[in-house]
Amino acid sequence: MTTRRPVKLLNQTTAFYLIFTFLVFFVSAFILSKMANHYIDSYVQSRFSKYENRLKHHLQKDSTLSHLPRYLKVKKVSDLSILKTLPIIKDTLIYSDELDEYLMYRKRKAVIQQGTQYFTYVARVRVGDFYRLRDDFLASMFIVFGVLAFGMIVFNYFLSGYLFKPFNQILEVMRTYKVGQGAKVQKVYTVTEEFIKMQDLFHQMLEQIEKDYRNLKEYTEDMAHEMQTPIAIMRSKMESLMSDETLLQKHGPQIKTIYQQLNHLSRLGNTLNLLTRIENGEFQNKKTIRTKDIIEEHLKFIQELAELKHLQFVTDLSEDNVFTIDPYLFELILKNLLRNAIQHAPENSKIFIKTDENQLLISNAGAELDFPPEKLFKRFVKRKSNGETLGLGLALVKKICDLNNLQIDYQYQDGQHVFRVWKSS
Amino acid sequence: MKILLVEDNQILVDELKSFFEEQGYLVEVATSFNLASQKVAVYEYDVIILDLGLPDGNGLDLIPLVRKTSTETIILILTARDAVEDKVKGLESGADDYLTKPFHKAELNARVRSQLRRKKFAGKNELTFHEIRVDLQAAQVFVKGQPLNLTRKEYDLLIYFLYNPNRLLTKESIAEHLWGDHIDQADSFDFIYNHIKNLRKKIMAAGGKNYVKAMYGMGYKFSEESK
Repeated sequence: MTTRRPVKLLNQTTAFYLIFTFLVFFVSAFILSKMANHYIDSYVQSRFSKYENRLKHHLQKDSTLSHLPRYLKVKKVSDLSILKTLPIIKDTLIYSDELDEYLMYRKRKAVIQQGTQYFTYVARVRVGDFYRLRDDFLASMFIVFGVLAFGMIVFNYFLSGYLFKPFNQILEVMRTYKVGQGAKVQKVYTVTEEFIKMQDLFHQMLEQIEKDYRNLKEYTEDMAHEMQTPIAIMRSKMESLMSDETLLQKHGPQIKTIYQQLNHLSRLGNTLNLLTRIENGEFQNKKTIRTKDIIEEHLKFIQELAELKHLQFVTDLSEDNVFTIDPYLFELILKNLLRNAIQHAPENSKIFIKTDENQLLISNAGAELDFPPEKLFKRFVKRKSNGETLGLGLALVKKICDLNNLQIDYQYQDGQHVFRVWKSS
Repeated sequence: MKILLVEDNQILVDELKSFFEEQGYLVEVATSFNLASQKVAVYEYDVIILDLGLPDGNGLDLIPLVRKTSTETIILILTARDAVEDKVKGLESGADDYLTKPFHKAELNARVRSQLRRKKFAGKNELTFHEIRVDLQAAQVFVKGQPLNLTRKEYDLLIYFLYNPNRLLTKESIAEHLWGDHIDQADSFDFIYNHIKNLRKKIMAAGGKNYVKAMYGMGYKFSEESK
């Protein structure tokens, strides 16, 4: 399928309308010119008949050809063969002394019989004015069409702003609407039926989406929250069991597994909770933060963790790197990306942290992903070899970025996993 | 030492009650906001462990009631809601510390003890375990009078052990205590072993005994009976 350049609705209607109007004008111009010609013809014809009658009348009384108007130019025919070619009708220009200009005439050379005698005569009727009138009329029609087309385009230009204002307002409302914020949607006033329909449908959809979203959120929230106390109890009981050495000796591996899974569950609950709270917009303490100090502070804190794997942090931090975000959320981004890097970097390798005016880059070496990269930011997507990890860290980072006008992407380049965070424009 | 446990879950209450009683604390329990506010009005406690989500009220509202009569009481908030505002509000209204459920008992214990140290023994702030002596104020460790040069993490680890002697500390609990959530569960916690090894080495080099005992791959115990 070829994609065509989008065209505005009003422009499309105007284009169709103009084509239609042009056709109508063209056809009516054609008909009008036909009618005008017809009128001229019949007028001229009636004048010719009049002349002919008068001539006949005259010849009956007096065949001497005297006392006839000069312009009739009556001649007696001696060569009868000429009769076959007559009558001849043609338009011609004749010079007028009076007006000092050429005038358009229609000439008719015809034959007239009087007894056994044949006469030819030439009659003429002035038609120039008729032609001019007809042509002026047609020309004015095309001028009117031109003015109309121009007017419509200009009018359309201004009208589209006016007519489509509610439409654009509705679009803006749709665009800026965020699910789960509980914001009241403002109704845009419009009398246009199509827009009203669209807006109503939009509101119905919103209601449904909001409802579904609330249900889902409540479910997650309740799950994550209500889980915590039972887990706390279980863990505490497990810890009591674990202090019994004979029991540990006997059932060590089982106890260990239960305990580990319990911890997993607990972290899962906490992280899901955190995700939900980020989605709920609980972290609104937006500030413009210079990242250099924060990153350096953070690196200091996890330095030891990295050293355990003999990893080295290589930094290139710009003073000018600034993000507008709740500092806690920025910490979370850092924490998760760096934890990810430390976890996946092979021993004795380097982790690069680079910032410039617009972006933050964190990269580490490592084998390529064993799943499609576009799934990387989805929940619970993890490497096969990575059984125990939660699989929520990058989803968390993505969520934070989405809600704070930041973009994040991932690339695998020259054996390096590169995460890039930058401001959306 | 008197502890008031404000928590509505009976099983957790029993668990914590016996846990603290084992360590010689006197534990009282309030399972509702009403009960707690009555007790607080009448008695004075050294420590209050406070759950925020009570059936008949928000635990946060209890803090001003306590603070009216006593600034000495240690208030430790315990909640399933890991909300930053709650944390901030709690600490602002006078709580001393904040712990999110589910927690490790050893962590809770360490928090309680460190708060007790801070508030109650401001003058003589020392921990001793046989030949090991820790000056908490100066963050300095001595073995047989000889100062040890410990890293920050080794120091934290030692304190964590000393607050929870003779108790199995799981690797998870140690890792969480030292690193918070900077580590993922996927990481093998072997790196803790490095810290343990270094700590043990330094203590023994100064003439101390080896008190740290590995427990079946589950964790470590700081115990009297040395190998």
